[in-house]
Amino acid sequence: MKTLLALAALAALSGCASIGNVQPWEKGTLARSEMTFKDGTLFNRYDDHIYTSREASSGGAGVGGGGCGCN
Amino acid sequence: MTINKESGMAASILSAALMLPGVQAHAEAPPTNGVISVGYLDYRDSQSGLDRIKVHAPSVSIMAPVAGVWSVSGSLVKDDVSGASPRYHTAVSGASHMDDDRKAGDVALTRYLDRGSVTVGAAYSTEHDYVSRALSLQGSYESEDRNRTWTAGIGHSDDKIDPVNQIVTNERKRTTNFLLGVTQVLTANDVAQLTLGYDNGSGYFSDPYKAFDNRPRTRYETTLLARWNHHVAATDGTTRLTYRYYRDSFGVRGHTLGAEYVQPLSDGWTLTPEVRLYTQSAASFYYDPVYDSKLGAPFPPGYNGTGYMSADQRLSGFGAVTLGLKASKQIDKLWSVDAKVSAYQQRGSWRLFHQGSPGLDALRAQTIQIAVNRQW
Amino acid sequence: MKLKMMMLAALLAASSAQALEKGAPAPQFDLPGLDGAIKLAKLQGKVVYVDFWASWCGPCRQSFPWMNEMQARYGGKGLQIVGVNVDAKSDDARQFLTTTPARFAIAFDPQGATPRSYGIKGMPSSVLIGPDGKVLLEHSGFREADRAELESKIQSALGGVK
Repeated sequence: MKTLLALAALAALSGCASIGNVQPWEKGTLARSEMTFKDGTLFNRYDDHIYTSREASSGGAGVGGGGCGCN
Repeated sequence: MTINKESGMAASILSAALMLPGVQAHAEAPPTNGVISVGYLDYRDSQSGLDRIKVHAPSVSIMAPVAGVWSVSGSLVKDDVSGASPRYHTAVSGASHMDDDRKAGDVALTRYLDRGSVTVGAAYSTEHDYVSRALSLQGSYESEDRNRTWTAGIGHSDDKIDPVNQIVTNERKRTTNFLLGVTQVLTANDVAQLTLGYDNGSGYFSDPYKAFDNRPRTRYETTLLARWNHHVAATDGTTRLTYRYYRDSFGVRGHTLGAEYVQPLSDGWTLTPEVRLYTQSAASFYYDPVYDSKLGAPFPPGYNGTGYMSADQRLSGFGAVTLGLKASKQIDKLWSVDAKVSAYQQRGSWRLFHQGSPGLDALRAQTIQIAVNRQW
Repeated sequence: MKLKMMMLAALLAASSAQALEKGAPAPQFDLPGLDGAIKLAKLQGKVVYVDFWASWCGPCRQSFPWMNEMQARYGGKGLQIVGVNVDAKSDDARQFLTTTPARFAIAFDPQGATPRSYGIKGMPSSVLIGPDGKVLLEHSGFREADRAELESKIQSALGGVK
């Protein structure tokens, strides 16, 4: 029973492989910086810092950022 | 300062301008170029027609590939903060005037593997009454066709608080954070990301400069972040959408919706307008500016010296809107410049779906940010 | 138990792209080049190094000077490097070539039929084909450390040519 379930899950996952089945040579657009999620830029840090100092929500995107006594 | 510790963090500065595509096809491949950026922030806010806080923050950041399979990055920032913030609610009189320098730095080392990467990071921040140290470890793993990347991270920060008014001395705050995320390529023009975060903090959370501020000594926070980048073939522009759900044990629930549109123009120019909508509920122990009939301001009704309470506007229920515009220019193969202006306004009446906290004046803020970048 | 293992293996095999095996005949291609067509069939008898590249691929900028060096050093001994460009817009490729010139053959395949027939797993990718038209190696990526290994593979392939 257990192995049948495992096989069914694997079959489902390989089906899932058809979502976003983009080939390596088709990734020209995805390579553009505005298409990535790399946002450790100076402006992102400034903005994150400002919002954390003026609102109660914080974080979401990274770990281990230091704190501050920001008023 | 919340810092993103994703590997190859400065790769977004290596803009794929017509002349110099330097970005990797795989998110987790080592960078081919290094970059150094020098930036400046000018922030001012105002309330009730009076200026409140001004911040001038020069910073420098550097990212360098090392030995083909490593990269090192670091940044330094100095916040020059001055002005007055209210002692309670938006009270102008008796506002605590301050002038402080905060210096912060962080460094991260990434090792790129065949199908992923590992990053260790450290951050340090110091001001005259607050010192923060943090460490983090983050890893990523790509599927064989590199269309899906899993990310997991753990971080810990240790803060020491010693306010000048000596309301408390030698206090600490320790926070551990966890992150789990997945990035999925959807089509040749679409990529999405989902990240779950959990933070567990204990120690001193109160604001010593706010009157009678007494917050719980633990704080548990959960965040869910969803992002979607979509390239529009017709205009060659890209829409970047972000949604974040936040909830914590203080009773705060916040929704953030951000939308950016990156439009490349001729001659290496790029224009990026931005809109951000934010709404939050008040913390369970936040009290409105309605004061005890006998004791007067700033005492909450029925004040008896015990219990959690805060008159900090940041813990009230409100909505906020940001409008921003960024202009970037790729000057030549190596140099580029970015400039951004934004306007922010926060109002109790703008809270979405529910009543916001009454009785607080709107808070307005403007920022100007500039960065000069050089690759090598 | 064995049946289940075989079913598992079949499922896994089905989900991954068809990569080329060593010793398999290299798929044919006939593509427009910078001056004239490039046909793999015409290069029979030479050791052919096929490199799949694009203007948006960072490591390609490092691989080009190395490929120029290899073509100069071993061209006389029977090596022919063919850089197959897979940019959707070939103009982007021509732009790349003005700043990073190629002293080897360049072919354009904007439809991506050739990388698909070779089962390419990453960008850039290179395939070394022997004089008999059979695949000797398939390599993904291009890092500093790869140069020596790739050059020695080219040398041993040429060693077999008389």
